[in-house]
Amino acid sequence: MLKSLPNERWNFTTAAHLLNRAGFGGPPSEIEQLASLGPEKAVSSLIDYEKIPDHGTNPEWAKPDPTRADRLAEARKADEQTRRQLLQAEQRTQRQRGVELKHWWLSRMAKGSRPLQEKMTLFWHGHFATSSEKVRDAYLMWKQNDLFRQQATGNWLRLLIAMAKDPAMLVWLDQAQSRKEHPNENFAREVMELFTLGEGHYTEKDVTEAARALTGWSYDRINQQFIERRRAHDDGVKTVLGNTGDLSGEDVLEQIVAQPQAARFITAKLWNFFAGEDPADDLVTALADVFRRSGNEFKPLLNVMFRSEEFYASSIIRNQVKSPVQWLVGSTRILERELPPPFVCFGLTRNLGQDLFAPPNVKGWDGGLSWITTNNLLARYNEAALLVQGDTSMLKGMNIAPNPAVNGQLQNRLQNLRLRPVEAVKILTEEERSDKGKLIAALEKRLLQAKLSEKQEQTLQEYLNSQSNLDEATILNAIRLMMSTPEYQLT
Amino acid sequence: MNPDNSLKTRREFLRTTMLGGALSWTVPAFLANTFSVLQSEAADSATQVVTGRDASILVVLQMAGGNDGLNTVVPFTNDFYHRARPQIGLSAKEVLKINEEVGFHPSLAGFKELYDGGNLAVIQGIGYPNPNRSHFRSTEIWQTASDAERIEKYGWLGRYFDNACAGADPTVGVNIGRQMPQSFSAKNPVGISLDNPENYRFISSDRNHKEGTTTEESYRKMNEPEEGMVAETGADANAGGSIGAISGTTAHSGSALDFLERTAMDAQVSSDKIRAISRRVENQASYPQSQLATSLKLVARLIGGGLPTRVYYVSQGGYDTHTNQVNAQQRLLKELGDSVKAFTDDLKAQGNLSRVMVMTFSEFGRRLAENANGGTDHGAAAPMFIIGNKVKAGLFGKYPSLAPTDLVNGDIKYNVDFRSVYAGVLEGWLKTSSAPILGRQFPPLLCA
Repeated sequence: MLKSLPNERWNFTTAAHLLNRAGFGGPPSEIEQLASLGPEKAVSSLIDYEKIPDHGTNPEWAKPDPTRADRLAEARKADEQTRRQLLQAEQRTQRQRGVELKHWWLSRMAKGSRPLQEKMTLFWHGHFATSSEKVRDAYLMWKQNDLFRQQATGNWLRLLIAMAKDPAMLVWLDQAQSRKEHPNENFAREVMELFTLGEGHYTEKDVTEAARALTGWSYDRINQQFIERRRAHDDGVKTVLGNTGDLSGEDVLEQIVAQPQAARFITAKLWNFFAGEDPADDLVTALADVFRRSGNEFKPLLNVMFRSEEFYASSIIRNQVKSPVQWLVGSTRILERELPPPFVCFGLTRNLGQDLFAPPNVKGWDGGLSWITTNNLLARYNEAALLVQGDTSMLKGMNIAPNPAVNGQLQNRLQNLRLRPVEAVKILTEEERSDKGKLIAALEKRLLQAKLSEKQEQTLQEYLNSQSNLDEATILNAIRLMMSTPEYQLT
Repeated sequence: MNPDNSLKTRREFLRTTMLGGALSWTVPAFLANTFSVLQSEAADSATQVVTGRDASILVVLQMAGGNDGLNTVVPFTNDFYHRARPQIGLSAKEVLKINEEVGFHPSLAGFKELYDGGNLAVIQGIGYPNPNRSHFRSTEIWQTASDAERIEKYGWLGRYFDNACAGADPTVGVNIGRQMPQSFSAKNPVGISLDNPENYRFISSDRNHKEGTTTEESYRKMNEPEEGMVAETGADANAGGSIGAISGTTAHSGSALDFLERTAMDAQVSSDKIRAISRRVENQASYPQSQLATSLKLVARLIGGGLPTRVYYVSQGGYDTHTNQVNAQQRLLKELGDSVKAFTDDLKAQGNLSRVMVMTFSEFGRRLAENANGGTDHGAAAPMFIIGNKVKAGLFGKYPSLAPTDLVNGDIKYNVDFRSVYAGVLEGWLKTSSAPILGRQFPPLLCA
């Protein structure tokens, strides 16, 4: 179990697999660079990202807003009409920032210097699935996202405690309202059911007792930060997972993480995210063992995972459905083009079923095959035309935003939107641009790192043959066609 | 089964597919392959003829989030009700009376009208043993028709497709939305999802095309599975997914590529037909403005256009009313009642109302007692509605007792298992035996 991949199996295909899964893929030059490093250094170049400078900047509003609470209080006191106007203005601001925030993060994934850190941040966002639909404060959503990033590959208990005290989470799962007279069980339940142990590994009694222990952990709306309200804390005796005493929130989380099941649960979920669905029992045992021996640290676990033979099994490589975010970010990287503007990216990801900062519920996105329906597959094919040719016709009539009024405004902005197409000269050599066979091979290497079926290759060849010359438009059509296949949806 | 039926289905499918497709697109060999295999599979099962003109149609309407049944069909004379709900309880003056004991929520004027017109059945006190209060798990139980203690892989509608619709066009099940409901998950997956019919197609990149092959022709060829592929994986690949805002994982046993290839084929086959219909058929009733109304408008057009569909699936979210329930539920139920009323008016104008039955469900009802935030928390039993002009209108089942000694953990107790309603719909409306689909025989509750 978990033996390291032998050096002789390290090649373009395995290097591409690593970059696709531990990051968001990249053009052939980046894959070749990784391939030249050998497996140990290649994994290290992704995993030891602290050594790589991060020149990213934060949104200018990503800080506490000392006037927000006053503004909201002011609004509450005002007459009906003024109040509605003030609240609408506030909502507009938050919505605008929300769109900027999604784009800010997508840009970090697409162009940042630390792909694995962003990929882990995406994992944590799906895991602790918190939605701005309820939190309604872009700063808090950013702050939680930044927490995922700072602790992306750190210690499990430390991250859990930080999450339990994270303002967006305190609002999202109602912990902010929990006090000893009325303990709210929402966070206490989800922390065990969805975040750490899974159903069947705790009792209803554990939930109610944990909720009591967590009372007092609350949210200070004025300063937009965590606050411990001692008078709201139930300091009676509780028993959670066999541990009895005047337990605090920290005690409960420590007790949870100490369960053998906790290591199995989170390592299986990571394998599922990075490698393949439903890992075999002995594989989970081996992963959990690595994790526990390292003191529940994620970095050593990821290092073993990304080096292991199991990770490069033929049943794993190119057998994962790209998430919409992976599809979008990965496509811009291999096409070497800019991300579309913020409101377009918002529409594109939402249309494919993954609206960042707005997961459907606290369980997060189901992922895997459920990304794919007849509707979403056709949408991917049409969005490919937008990325390759700058064709925005598929956005017309699309419900970019859930709110009809906002959607109307966005549709108006679309009238004037011109998107730059991919530049064939940037991603293909002159030889590849003039020889049909070489063109198809080069595109397969860039887009799939694998071959199409013979019949598909033949169809593409026939398409190219039927055109009078191999001009830019024809090449871009060929790229879009290759992206409009079942194969391109896999990584 | 009657072999003529299967042949008829096959011809129908090929013909409609051809007519819908581009002129240059000939019927590929893989389709013929599919049918020879499916036909032999179908030989053992009670396959139903699927045409778009005569078969009965079921529209499943999910009210996601757990609708508060107690304030939907209100026991307005009950003291326990008013004691438990001092803030949000509805009085005799407010409700739309069904009889001297229960009445509809004041926003459900649309339902009241349907009820008075003899087109709506209220089934009271629906639930299941050992109710689960998690949205996800309880939704899964409703979607898969499983016992609370059992995990079922496939959905109840998926099992209906498997058992009774083998060889059918992929549009035998149509979900309006982006994600497949888990109830469609099947051993041999059929069913499509669509959001907006205008974008439900491959949009060509070469609209000013002058010569040679078009991108659309190439797209079609590149998305046809290899010959034999469908025959091998047809019975294994799978469909499924999230339901409205509440998710369920997709079950499957083939590779991811098998699944993608099958979905790509279904998308191709269904998209031409659906767009043609949605352009040709117009709505003949005026609907309110809401997401649910938009979905039902599309369903009405697809029915009017004769899509060979047996089950449509629409959903409406937002029923998780833990805080300030009064306003939220008022808005949602108004949307519901008015949209469904407009939908039935539309079908009536088309002459299709007698072929269509609407069935609503929600994953659970809510607590009898209101909470401190003007809302209600997750509960258990709740009513269901069945709508159509072949429906026996009236009240079915018994209103659960609200007496404190009859409550279980603060929740009213169910009287009718939801699977009895499913059994009634399968046997009485879709005309198929329910036991192979629901796992065992439930006493069917027949409202039609």
